[in-house]
Amino acid sequence: MKTRAIVSSVSVSVSLLALWALIAQLEWISPIFLPGPSATWQSLSEGLRHGELLHLTFGTVERMAYGWALASLIGIALGALIGISPLLRTWLQPTLELIRPLPASAIVPVAIAFIGLSPAMVLVVIAFGAVWPVLLATTHGFANIEPRLHEVGRVLRLSPLAFIVKVGLPNAMPDALAGMRLSLTVSLILAIVGEMLASQEGLGLAILQAARSFRSADLFAGVVLLGAIGFVSNSLLGMAERRALAWKQI
Amino acid sequence: MHALPRTQHLQVVTPAQTDAPLIVFDQVALDFGAVRVINRLSFSMRRGEFVCVIGPSGCGKTTLLRLLTGLVKPSAGEVRRHGAPITGPAHDVAIVFQDYAKALLPWRSVAGNVSLALEAAHVAKSERADRIRHLLAKVGLAQHADKYPGQLSGGMQQRLQIARCLAQEPALLLMDEPFGALDAMTRQTLQDEMLQLVQESGTTVLFITHDLEEAIYLGDTVLALRAAPGEGSSLAQTFEVTLPRPRDQLSTREEPEFLRLRRAAFDHVKDTH
Amino acid sequence: MRALLDRLGWRGWVLPVTLLALAEAAMRINPVESDALARPTDVLNAMAQAIANGSVLSLSAQTLAAALAGLALGGGLGLAAGIWFGLSRAAADAASLSIDLLRPVPSVALIPLSMLVFGFGFRMEIAVIAFTCFWPMLLLSQAAVRNVEPRLLEVARVLGFAWWERVLKLVLPAALPRIFVAFRLCVGIALVVAVTTEIAANPQGLGYALMNAQQSLRPDLMFAMLLWIGLLGWGLGAGLLWLQRTWFRHSLAQQP
Repeated sequence: MKTRAIVSSVSVSVSLLALWALIAQLEWISPIFLPGPSATWQSLSEGLRHGELLHLTFGTVERMAYGWALASLIGIALGALIGISPLLRTWLQPTLELIRPLPASAIVPVAIAFIGLSPAMVLVVIAFGAVWPVLLATTHGFANIEPRLHEVGRVLRLSPLAFIVKVGLPNAMPDALAGMRLSLTVSLILAIVGEMLASQEGLGLAILQAARSFRSADLFAGVVLLGAIGFVSNSLLGMAERRALAWKQI
Repeated sequence: MHALPRTQHLQVVTPAQTDAPLIVFDQVALDFGAVRVINRLSFSMRRGEFVCVIGPSGCGKTTLLRLLTGLVKPSAGEVRRHGAPITGPAHDVAIVFQDYAKALLPWRSVAGNVSLALEAAHVAKSERADRIRHLLAKVGLAQHADKYPGQLSGGMQQRLQIARCLAQEPALLLMDEPFGALDAMTRQTLQDEMLQLVQESGTTVLFITHDLEEAIYLGDTVLALRAAPGEGSSLAQTFEVTLPRPRDQLSTREEPEFLRLRRAAFDHVKDTH
Repeated sequence: MRALLDRLGWRGWVLPVTLLALAEAAMRINPVESDALARPTDVLNAMAQAIANGSVLSLSAQTLAAALAGLALGGGLGLAAGIWFGLSRAAADAASLSIDLLRPVPSVALIPLSMLVFGFGFRMEIAVIAFTCFWPMLLLSQAAVRNVEPRLLEVARVLGFAWWERVLKLVLPAALPRIFVAFRLCVGIALVVAVTTEIAANPQGLGYALMNAQQSLRPDLMFAMLLWIGLLGWGLGAGLLWLQRTWFRHSLAQQP
């Protein structure tokens, strides 16, 4: 009953929207804290068309994308090297395990200390925080290559590099892509935190300023946009993942 | 193909002699930790010979193959090819594994899997397509070139693995119970296809199996290994198979010689268990 | 001796210990006046002092209190919803669009909103943590409930149990191992979000202390706080993992 599910889910969402509008209209919660959907929509459309919102959105997205791309490249490269070498794993694993539970945001003050309040600092923080899910997932993927495939590689006399590229990487792709999806979430979060702390132009800073000036409609508009960024980026990556792993569906 | 009389110890022969043995196992021993799995194993294989190896589990038959790939070194004795000890994988030694699904790349198509061997051998890109087509036709997978291993039946996957091995143009083909996981019908079909392929190319084959009848049907020589050799030799007995070629599933298996060998093999197995 | 060292995994410690020793030596030989670097021994010193004067402990208490309260609120609601959606396909379908629309909002984006409504303090932090923990708890407990052997549910219905009896006596105990794994995950998330909120806005707890140390140009204290936060996270995780292995040894064959 696919249609029934669609109908019910849409009606629930619409009802929630109506409830929101009602609460705002009746001012059960002060409009200072809760703007209605129409006020939010107005702020959103005004901001996108005439105002800064589009520019700010691009700023945040750019930051997130660069940091994520950098983290993914480093994470996959290092993950491949560490994953494929049991020797490296023994020596490095505990160090990695020690750094893993650290909240990525805790690196922000350290980064500020070293680099100062600047766009570079934010990028470094994003890359550092986002590298772990990819690194750990890729290491796992490379460490768990079917032993038979190792043998095949040796009998065919594949060079180590050829083996990593032709066998290791495709084999680790499912894990790596899952890690990259997690990394994307982390990248967005760190981009926002970075903007807030380093006063970098972007949606993160914008909503902070909106909160400080009690502009609730602008605040909500910004939050909606951030949610949209999260949704769209995740969906795009999900689609890419499905295409790359098409062979698994069979 | 007629088998020559065998002796226990073999001389090292110069490569100049054309009927010199291709492979020589000279008093080979192999330890797994403290356990001596193979002891004083000596035999030879001539060019183009089809040698089958049977034996109980733990006799080291699978390890035998790895000794020939050079991935495992003997604890004592020598394994020689063309008179020289084997030091590592050679470009013309191919190995077919029993667990074919694990030996294939699930993310590459059938053609892509065969291509892997050609890429490893640095065959020029322009040549690859033709050779892949030719090889897939040889194993009967021509129509399935764009499918993925996950879409193929067990028999077809094993054919794919064989095609990839043939891409190496092997002088020596090693097969580790390749048909063990397949049903009887597929097994028989593949047996005959194997024999034809090998006959055409004159490849030397070492074939591991637990199926005594398969060993006799396929081989020129059957080596029976024993487990836990202790101080003695791992090689319990050698059977010469003088059945005519080409072999046929029905008629060959009814030949009196086949039945005699079958009885001898079964008796041997009964005695050693 | 060798065997004992091997079991402790000595190889893994060589790298960090060597690096720290080198850093210590380098900074002693070449005294550097820096706002960003601190000698490892100074860092340990700062940590010892912070523990001794009780500041670290009260800060940890603040952060943990917020984290656990937020987890209880968000995780509790998420668990309830997860059980409901796990048992009722219709409810899950009806909620799916709303979940898909609300879930992608990054937790930190709610910090300014929470600040607006609650000002600074515990409530603001708890609200953000609750929102963040709600989703993973919802999705994972839903999956855990779906995983309960349908045959068991049939048997319960046939035996005439009321719906709440089914949940209490059957669904919860059966799904508990996986729910505990979800809980473990959410504790980690709660701690991270708590520290993040304190770094970004809320002037209390370990995150705030960390920022403060950096702004007061006390790198030794800053690294000490960082180390402490890491240890806290690791300790909590290890403790929960031990609990999981002890309580659910038989139910979970191999779980992360």
